Amino acid sequence: MIVLVAVLVAVLALAAWIVRVAGWRFALQRLGGSLLIVVLVTFATTVLLRQVGVDQSQKDTLVELGLPPSSQPCVASLGTGADVATVEKCVEDRGLDKNVFAQYAGWVSDLLHGDLGYAFYKNKEPLTTTLQQRLPRTAWLFLYSQITALVLAVPLGIWAAYQAGRKPRRVPRWIFPLVLLAMLGVAFSVGWGFAAVMFGAILLPIVVYNTYRGGPPGDTTVNTTAFVLLSIPVFVLGESLRYLFAIKRDWYQLTGYKPWSAGVTAHIGSIWLPALVLGLAATPVYLRLLRADMMQNLQQDYVAVAKAKGMSNTHILIRHVLRPSTVTLLTVAGLNIAQLVNGAIVVEFIYDFDGMGSYLIEAVARREFFAVQTIVALVAILFVAANTIVDLLYTVVDPRVRATVSS
Amino acid sequence: MSSVAADMAVKSARAHDITDPKRPASQHNWLFILAAGWLIVVLFFVVFGRWLPFIQDPTAKDAQAIAQSPSWDHWFGTATFGQDVFARVVEGGRISLFVGATVTFIGIFLGGLLGLLAGYLRGWVDSLVRLLISVTLAIPALLLVIFIVTIQGQSLKNVILAVSLLAIPALARIVRASTLQVADRDYVKAAQVLGVKKGSILVREVLPNVMPTLVSFAFLTFGIILVAESSLSFLGLSVEAPTITWGSIIAEGRIKFSDTPHMVFLPGAVLFLTVLSLNFVGDQMLKRFDIKESGL
Repeated sequence: MIVLVAVLVAVLALAAWIVRVAGWRFALQRLGGSLLIVVLVTFATTVLLRQVGVDQSQKDTLVELGLPPSSQPCVASLGTGADVATVEKCVEDRGLDKNVFAQYAGWVSDLLHGDLGYAFYKNKEPLTTTLQQRLPRTAWLFLYSQITALVLAVPLGIWAAYQAGRKPRRVPRWIFPLVLLAMLGVAFSVGWGFAAVMFGAILLPIVVYNTYRGGPPGDTTVNTTAFVLLSIPVFVLGESLRYLFAIKRDWYQLTGYKPWSAGVTAHIGSIWLPALVLGLAATPVYLRLLRADMMQNLQQDYVAVAKAKGMSNTHILIRHVLRPSTVTLLTVAGLNIAQLVNGAIVVEFIYDFDGMGSYLIEAVARREFFAVQTIVALVAILFVAANTIVDLLYTVVDPRVRATVSS
Repeated sequence: MSSVAADMAVKSARAHDITDPKRPASQHNWLFILAAGWLIVVLFFVVFGRWLPFIQDPTAKDAQAIAQSPSWDHWFGTATFGQDVFARVVEGGRISLFVGATVTFIGIFLGGLLGLLAGYLRGWVDSLVRLLISVTLAIPALLLVIFIVTIQGQSLKNVILAVSLLAIPALARIVRASTLQVADRDYVKAAQVLGVKKGSILVREVLPNVMPTLVSFAFLTFGIILVAESSLSFLGLSVEAPTITWGSIIAEGRIKFSDTPHMVFLPGAVLFLTVLSLNFVGDQMLKRFDIKESGL
């Protein structure tokens, strides 16, 4: 209760601030636009739900049994063994006997009353219970992955953007073969396989050597690594790390999620690898954008002024260059939620992590169309809401946007 | 991925120009040739794979060679029933690349049309297209595709349909942004003043200048679609079982992972290299064709 009140107060305070800064018209315009999108998306999912594939003969069978031809989702969730009365009750309950608009209105009113329908239609397990149980797991996964991504991306992004305009450190040429030999020696003595040696001991020295040199080579190395990482499909990355850490070594146990109450080590130990995979997938997105944005900022006159005033490079980088870029980062983080949801579905499937993503796959396999539709709609609402908040925050954080909005 | 990756690609391509205007564009050409070469090799194998003599039957089972590691007889090893994994990768590429190519063409055509009209005509057309884009992109791509494929049934047609729904708005948005830029140029205004018809301006003035961006993004979109389709078949939700795709080979290999790691890593590497090459080619083309304000 206290948490709810606190959240409400925070939201109201934020709303008041936005209205004060950006004006009523702008805030209402944005909110109205988002609301329209939410309504259209959820309505579209309802329309799609009625399209559940049935051929004419199946429709005829349904009509013969005295059911409306659109009752296929009910039949699918209840299984072919269900009797007509049960299906009829389900059809009535879900509004499939009415037209699309009435069905949608029923769905919205159920949603507003906190009734999300059943997670599994057969045993009448409510979706809200499943959400209560599984949503926190996915939420932790998201949180840790975002922390990982930001911890990796922000310093590297700043460093790369900074080094791009500097002279590389002068290093004698013969150092590189030395690094290479040392790495090869380490790799062989540890006993890595041939492929690992190829990747680990030849590419890694190049990365280490260039990173040590700094300047454009360092920047290029970081950027290229990010580019390569960006091209690895999440499921390939997830499977590779599962092989490395959960199958070849037992650094990660596939025993399922443990909550905070089970202890910090148990909790982190049960979640770190999926979070790392999701984090590594998000890192290059943030890194490349931050780098590009900071490079543009570094060209600005105010940077030259700050430098002329005798400010230190660190101060300029953090206060003058990074600060405007955080706005961009915020926007991308908002948009990246979509990517995160995609990743979560795959990663939870790979690691048998029983969060919302693996529930979704399960629900799809069991043909629980209602639950899938509700989840799709809820994710869309969450995504639009998050991006609206980011949009509005944008005006609060960045004075330049504020100026264009109010004028 | 689609929207963020697209925005980012434009941004990083432009940032590159800021940093080193003097660096010759041809310096990394050998990488471009390498990437394009890989794509051509993959395409060659996938298209002509069925007629190449050294590629075995992807469905032929062999009890003597179950789950073997790569060897000279089986370049990528063998699957759980002794099928040749290399042949399966070649066969699987047919579906994966076919879906990618078809969807990219649909996306370029319909997305390009919507984007052009929205960006040039503005007004209510623009509002409508923008609304369509926001509504479609409000559902995370994989979720939307899963939803549609489960409802419509798992067939090649439905997979293509579902994935197109993801490519069209993404490309429409990019074309719209690009068109907005081009439509502001003096030569377009000159054509308008001269009284050239709108359709003619669109086709003869705007389209040729939007095309390079569109084609570069087509490569990036191809990569995204390839990953989307592979993820879908990895989850077992793409085209039904006996049909082979890259994702389904990996999904089969992961079940007994310690016995058949080659069934995960080698198709995974092929997929990764293909996506990397597509991204690289698209990125380079974007850098090359990007219209720079300062250059005019």
